[in-house]
Amino acid sequence: MLLAIGGIALAYERWVGHALIAIVSLVLMIYTLTTGAMLKGRIKKSSGNLFKFHKRSGIYFGSFILGSFIYGLWIRLQHGESILSSVHGKLGLIILLIVILQLVPSLVLKNRATYRRLHKIMGYTLAPIMIIDAGWGLHNGVIGGTKSLILLHSVSGGLSALVLVWIIMETLYPTDRSLARARIASYLAAFLITAGCWIAGGYNYLTVYSSKVKAVILAGPHPWAHEVVMEAKEHIFIFLPIIAFALSITLSILDKDAFMDDAKFRRALTMTACLALFMVLLMFLMGAIISNAGHTVTEALK
Amino acid sequence: MKESETSIASAAITIFFTGCIIIAHDISKDLRQSLASLTGHHWISVSLIAIVLFVLFSGLLMGSKSLRKSLRVYNVRLWSNALMVVTLIMIVGTLAELITHFLAD
Repeated sequence: MLLAIGGIALAYERWVGHALIAIVSLVLMIYTLTTGAMLKGRIKKSSGNLFKFHKRSGIYFGSFILGSFIYGLWIRLQHGESILSSVHGKLGLIILLIVILQLVPSLVLKNRATYRRLHKIMGYTLAPIMIIDAGWGLHNGVIGGTKSLILLHSVSGGLSALVLVWIIMETLYPTDRSLARARIASYLAAFLITAGCWIAGGYNYLTVYSSKVKAVILAGPHPWAHEVVMEAKEHIFIFLPIIAFALSITLSILDKDAFMDDAKFRRALTMTACLALFMVLLMFLMGAIISNAGHTVTEALK
Repeated sequence: MKESETSIASAAITIFFTGCIIIAHDISKDLRQSLASLTGHHWISVSLIAIVLFVLFSGLLMGSKSLRKSLRVYNVRLWSNALMVVTLIMIVGTLAELITHFLAD
């Protein structure tokens, strides 16, 4: 684990290494949350020793969070800045503290019954904080600053990806309460995609991007970042709220018996949620390419 | 219960028509201009058209049993596959058109 973190740190001296470690941490977090939910019976159990998987993935997740924090600290110190001078750093410290509070008592305490409730609450709290911090960090790394509207756009995208993973898990491993939870998740996804991604992103595209960023990218070495990537992103994006609303309406109309008994229907819902997740990730990738193209020109002009 | 599939079907149909409009307005400057004159910006017009189409198709499919039957809307597997395929084709189509346009310039 340490070798992997060290290898990434050596290979990428800039923030990219920090981001790679954070992405691995996000994947491990989702796995740990899923096995935790399976252990409590919130989603249908899969075969195997779940407690062992949950414990192991939790330890790996904690190691990657520690590695990511140390790496971030190292980058900040190279610039002579305090880690607590940025919101990203403060959130990183909060995440590290929560992870320590999750891991240490779980490994040390022999009777964990009294601690379970707090462990569950902290575990679920960690997920949105991680997503917000990852979105914030990605934004800082790519753009090199914090513009609130784009930040809202990126963080909403990150949170909607998390909520879509939640829907996928509920449809893949259904229990009695899965439909109710999947409905809540789908309403959240529809809200985040519409308000945070579509309206905030659209407003930024029509105002700041069109008047300032577009001309900068077109004058730079990568005009295709606007002419192909941005032009495609602005239009392909329109499909995403439609898919999110379709998923949300379907889940709200669907009755519990059909959800529990009809495996084909659940599979269709899983596929639709996977399609929405794919589109969110594609939008992230396209957004990063566009921001990077604008940032390259801005840096060259300095 | 059986109306629950209609949203997925209407999303697939909406994305098909919206995707066609997107590709057509990238090819035809006249269409782009007329879309821009509708609301002031072509992107806002396409967004509004997508919303109107989705509401329209959802309403039509929810209200008409015969239409649901003829389009086999009850076959949720068929329509979720259609949604995925149509979306991916429209993404690839839009990208292909824009790349061709960029290389031609």
